[in-house]
Amino acid sequence: MSRAQYRVGTWIGWGFFADLANGLALTFGYMFSRPVTMQYPDQEKWLPYPRYRGHHFLKRDEEGEIKCVACELCAQICPCDCIEVVPYEDENGKRHPAKFEIDTARCLFCGLCEDACPADAIALGQQYEFSSFSSRDLVIGRDDLLAKPGKAATGGGVVAARLNTKKDVLVETEETQGYDWWRNIRRT
Amino acid sequence: MELVVALGLIVFKVAFLIAILLLLPLPLTWLERKVAGHMQQRMGPMRVGWHGLLQPVADGIKLLTKEDHIPAEADRFLFKLAPILALAPPFVVFVAVPFGESVSVLGTEITLYVSNMNVALLFVFAVIGIEVYGVIFGGWAANSKYAVLGSLRTCAQMISYEIPMGFAVIGVVMLAQSMSLLDIVRAQADVWNVVYQPVGFFVFFVAGLAEAQRIPFDLAEAEGDLGAGFHTEYSGIRFAFFMVSEYAIVLLVSVLVVILFFGGWNGVLVPLPPLLWFVLKVAFFVYLFIWFRFTFPRYRYDQLMAIGWKVLLPLSMANIIITGVLLGAVAAP
Ligand code: SF4
Ligand code: SF4
Repeated sequence: MSRAQYRVGTWIGWGFFADLANGLALTFGYMFSRPVTMQYPDQEKWLPYPRYRGHHFLKRDEEGEIKCVACELCAQICPCDCIEVVPYEDENGKRHPAKFEIDTARCLFCGLCEDACPADAIALGQQYEFSSFSSRDLVIGRDDLLAKPGKAATGGGVVAARLNTKKDVLVETEETQGYDWWRNIRRT
Repeated sequence: MELVVALGLIVFKVAFLIAILLLLPLPLTWLERKVAGHMQQRMGPMRVGWHGLLQPVADGIKLLTKEDHIPAEADRFLFKLAPILALAPPFVVFVAVPFGESVSVLGTEITLYVSNMNVALLFVFAVIGIEVYGVIFGGWAANSKYAVLGSLRTCAQMISYEIPMGFAVIGVVMLAQSMSLLDIVRAQADVWNVVYQPVGFFVFFVAGLAEAQRIPFDLAEAEGDLGAGFHTEYSGIRFAFFMVSEYAIVLLVSVLVVILFFGGWNGVLVPLPPLLWFVLKVAFFVYLFIWFRFTFPRYRYDQLMAIGWKVLLPLSMANIIITGVLLGAVAAP
């Protein structure tokens, strides 16, 4: 088709609103496509990747002893000044934290404490559901930090979940295969 | 006794109409958000009730209980008047709009319209014109730059669509030889007007989009560039008034399109009850409004004025002349 013919065709198309009709057809088609929405927390839940920086946790060594040596480097580097460490010395002459508090209400989850720690004792884990009605509840103590879940092993998966208003989001399945984010996105 | 029954009927019909018009925005907002969601591959409201069906109720309660705030520098009288001015005309207009011929209940013939005016069409256009003042006053009284810009645009918009809209229906009036909406529908018993008046329909529909202030002509609201346009400063129940008014006008324009161009309650092919035909057709046009909203971008207001004056007005005038000539040619032996 010659250029002039093509141009005439375009003009005739405009005359009959071909472009508008195209747009309408496209949106109508999309209306019956599957939504990409992830219904968190009613039906699905996303599991973080290993690199995700969620709630902090403190590690233990092989003997079950807390790894932290209470050097306070994390407290020093923290840009938000939200870590408070009080050391003590146990019977073997080892330093450990008597008190280790992180104010997660102030924390910006930069991960600098994890980088600074010489004993590889603190890290940012996979938990991301810890909202609270009171900012006091967000000050997390040593024993709670020890109990927090660690880094995600696989990650990126989406599992079935359902909202439990009393406790937490319940995860019902354990399969954590990678999630295809393009699952329902139409590529035209 | 006769008089009491007749009066009671009218009161009942009016009350029924008001109830429908006040309640219909609830499912319509839900539908609009659902359609919007699915067109954008989202789900729309899901949390309140089954698939968010009760979301409009929750929104309604929220709007009713919110603080009714009037800006300090606002013109208080106009500010309070504007939502009422916007809300009342669409309700008044429906007095003149028929929904069908009549049904017989308990041996009594009940007509499906409140009144059969012989100048119904004129009445509709006269009253619906007042609605624009609600928008203009609302924007002006709020004393906010976004609101004023919104109402300025409405002024520009109004003068460019009202005239083609009025001209577009003259062809219909010529065909039906009457201004009564009832007679216009009756005249379409065999062939719908859209067959004879495709240009008239086009002009009326585009002008109707502008009248209802919906995308692609929602310049007064234009949430992208004006916050919320003329009702930026409104909150609570007054804001709800504007919302109800918007949906009532969408409904009105759909009803008018159906009555004037799509044969009203006259069915085609499938024999369904007339009222059902009417409702189905109106529902289609309401859906079309929503569909348009999530398909097209917004026109600039100089573009809208150009469309109004340079395209719609000549088209509607040509439509009148050609209809007249053809009618004359058919009438002359
Ligand atoms: S993540 Fe950053 S802000 Fe939070 S405690 Fe560690 S160093 Fe401080
Ligand atoms: S967590 Fe690491 S950096 Fe912080 S006090 Fe303990 S050993 Fe030092």
